[in-house]
Amino acid sequence: MSSKGPGTAFAAALAAAALALAACGSSDPPGGGGGSGEPRTLTLWHYESADSAMGVAWTEAIRQFEAGHPNVKVKVEEKGFEQIQKTAGMVLGSDQAPDIMEYNKGNATAGLLSKQGLLTDLTEQVTKRGWDKLLSPSLRTTARYDERGVMGSGNWYGIPNYAEYVMVYYNKDAFEKQGVKVPTTLDEFTAALDTFVKAGITPIAVGGAEYPAQQIMYQLALSKAQRPWVDAFELYKGRVDFHGPEWTYGATTFADWVKKGYIAKDSASLKAEDMGVGFISGKYPIMVSGSWWYGRVAGEVKNFTWGSFLWPGNRLHAGSSGNLWVVPEKSKNKDLAYDFIDITMKKDIQNRLGNAGGVPVAADPAAITDEKNKELIENFNKLTAEDGLAYYPDWPAPGYYDVMVAGAQELINGAKTPSQVLDEFARPYDENLADIGG
Amino acid sequence: MTSLSVRRAASARRARRERREHGRVTGAGPGRWAVLAAMALLAVAMLLPFALVTLNALKSPADYSSNGPLGLPHGVHLDGIVQFWQRVDFGEKLLNSLVISGSVAVLAVILSVLNAYALGIGRVRGRLWVLVLFLLANTLPQEALVYPLYYLAKAAGLYDSRLAVIIIFTVIQAAFGTYLLAAVLGGFPKAIIEAAAMDGASRWRILWWIVVPISRPTLSVLLIFFFIWTWNEFFLPLIFLISNDNQTVPVVLGVLQGEKMMDATMSSASALLGIVPAVAFFLIFQRTLTRGITVGAVK
Repeated sequence: MSSKGPGTAFAAALAAAALALAACGSSDPPGGGGGSGEPRTLTLWHYESADSAMGVAWTEAIRQFEAGHPNVKVKVEEKGFEQIQKTAGMVLGSDQAPDIMEYNKGNATAGLLSKQGLLTDLTEQVTKRGWDKLLSPSLRTTARYDERGVMGSGNWYGIPNYAEYVMVYYNKDAFEKQGVKVPTTLDEFTAALDTFVKAGITPIAVGGAEYPAQQIMYQLALSKAQRPWVDAFELYKGRVDFHGPEWTYGATTFADWVKKGYIAKDSASLKAEDMGVGFISGKYPIMVSGSWWYGRVAGEVKNFTWGSFLWPGNRLHAGSSGNLWVVPEKSKNKDLAYDFIDITMKKDIQNRLGNAGGVPVAADPAAITDEKNKELIENFNKLTAEDGLAYYPDWPAPGYYDVMVAGAQELINGAKTPSQVLDEFARPYDENLADIGG
Repeated sequence: MTSLSVRRAASARRARRERREHGRVTGAGPGRWAVLAAMALLAVAMLLPFALVTLNALKSPADYSSNGPLGLPHGVHLDGIVQFWQRVDFGEKLLNSLVISGSVAVLAVILSVLNAYALGIGRVRGRLWVLVLFLLANTLPQEALVYPLYYLAKAAGLYDSRLAVIIIFTVIQAAFGTYLLAAVLGGFPKAIIEAAAMDGASRWRILWWIVVPISRPTLSVLLIFFFIWTWNEFFLPLIFLISNDNQTVPVVLGVLQGEKMMDATMSSASALLGIVPAVAFFLIFQRTLTRGITVGAVK
C-alpha cells in the first residue's frame, strides 16, 4: 500500500460526509398562509401501522388535508415506538422537530414534555375549534397538564383521536360447550371460571411478564372503587390507602384466582403476545385485555366464534384516551398542524376509524356498519356514559410499570403475600407524591 | 548421500509418523469426539434462532396465531418480507448502513494504525497510560455518552445526520483498534524497522511501506470487525438518526415494535432481511478472518 491509499480513502470519506450533510439539510420554508401561495411541507410522525384503525383513518385524513390545502405536501414518517420514547425530548429540543406528532399520553410522557416547554399550548385552538365539546370528561383528563406536568387540569397540550378500554374477550364455542352464559355480575363470572376449571381448562389467558396481569388486578380493585378513589390514585386528589378495601380486594382476589386455577401458575413469565396467541389459538377461552387487541383478534381468530363483554359488575374500567396529537413548540407549521388535527376530529374520519376496528372518540354510532365494531363502540359508549374510564394502574409514578409487573408476578408465583405486595406498591407511589409536592 | 542414509532417514520418518498416529488413536480420540460434539451442539444452538426467524418469516399472521411460533408454516407466505421492504424503503436503509459502516470501518482502521504506530512502535512516553485510557473508554456504556454527544452534535449542526454517527463510531471503534493494534505492533520485529531506517526511510515511509503491508492480515480483520460491529449498532443510531431517510437497518427494524402490539411474522421477516447482509459480508470475508488476528512471523 502506498501513501496514495489513505489519501483516496480520506477523500471518499469526505465525499460521503458532504453527501450526508446535504441530505439532512432540507428544511421547510417558514410558515405563511395556509390556503394558497408558496409550496409547504407538513412533517407528521406517528407510530401506528398502516393497516391499524388509526393508520387507515389517518391516511384518509391526510388525503383530505392535501385536497383542502393544494400547496401543502404532507411528509409522513412512520416511527418505531421505542425511538419516539427514547428520543422525543431530544428531538423536540432540536431544529429537527416535526410539525405534528403522535405521542403517549400520561404524566411521564406528554406531561414531562409540556413541563419542559417542548409542546405547544393548544388551549386557544381547543376552544376556538370546539375540540373540547367532542371529548367526554375522562378523555379530556389525559389531554390537559398543569405546570407540574400532572394530567387532569391546566392547559391543553394534546388531542386524542381514539380511545381504548379493557374488556373481556371470550370464546363463544367454548362457553356454549360448558353451558356458560355471558356473566353480568362478578359472582356469575367467578362461577363461569369455576365451570371451566372443573372441566380441566385454565380459563384466563394471562401474560404475567407484561401489562395484562396488573390490569386484571386493577379491574378487581375497581370493582370495589368509586370515582373519588380513582381521582385520588391517578390524579393525586386525596390520599390513597394501599391497604384500603380497593387494593386489598384486588391483590387478594388475584392471588386467590391463581390458587383456584383461573390463572395458570406458569403465566408469570409469559408476555402479552403469548397471551394473545393463547387466546387466538383457542387454548384459553377468556382473555382480559384492551381494545388494542380487537383488530388482531377479529382478523386472526379462525377456529371459533368470539365475542367481547365489559368486565361484569364494574362501573369503572381500565382505559383512557388513546395517544395524543401534539404540536412541538419548535414546529414550523403550527397553523397547518391545527388544521390537520381538526380534520382527524371530523365525523367522517372518526367513523372511518370506528369501521376499521378502532374506538373513535367522536363518531356517529349509526354510521358504524360492521356488527363486531358496533359492539366494541357501543360498549365504549356505555362506559363513557357512566364516566367509567379509570386509566391504568401503572400511571401514577415514574417506573411504576415495573413495580406493578413485579408485584403481579410475585402473586402468581406465591412468592409474597398480597399484603407484602401492596407495601411494594405503596413505597414508590408515596415517594413520587413527595417529589411532586402532592 | 548414500542409499543407506536415505533408507535410515525414511524409516526414522515412518517411526515418527507411526508414533504420532498411535498417539492420536489412543490419547486424543475421545477428547476429539467430545470437542466435535460440543462444537456441533454450539452450532445448533447458534443456528436455532436463525431457523426460528426464517420459519416465522414465512408464515401468514393467522397461521402464526393459531399454531404458535414453533409450528411449521402452512405454505410459504412471502408477503411479510415484501410488505416490510416497501413499507420502510429498505433499499435506502441498506445504502445508509453501507455508507456508515463502510466509512467507519475505513476511517477507524486508518486512525487505529496511526495511533498504534505511535504507541506500539514509536514508544511515546506514557504509552501505558494512554492505552489504559483507551481501554477505559472502551468500557464506557453508550448510554452514558448520549447526552454529551447529543449537545455536541447539536452545537456542530450535525444532529440527525449520518456524518455524526460516522464520526462517533470512528472514534469508538478506533479506541478498541488502537488498543489491539498497539499490542500487536509492540511485538513487531525491530530488525525490519532498523534495516529500513538504515536505508534512509523516513518514519512516514516505514509506516506505509513496511508496517502496514506486513500487518495487513490484522488490519483486514479489524476492518471487517468494525464493519460488522457498526452495522449492528442500534442505540446511538436510534438517537442520532431521527429522519427516516437517514436510518440504518437495525433502527428501522424497530419500527415494527408497537407500544402494545408486535407483528411477529413481519418482525421475523424484517429480522431475516436485517441479518442477511451481515451474514453475507461475513461469509465473503471469512477467509480473511480465519487468517488470524496476529501478524505473521518475520519473512
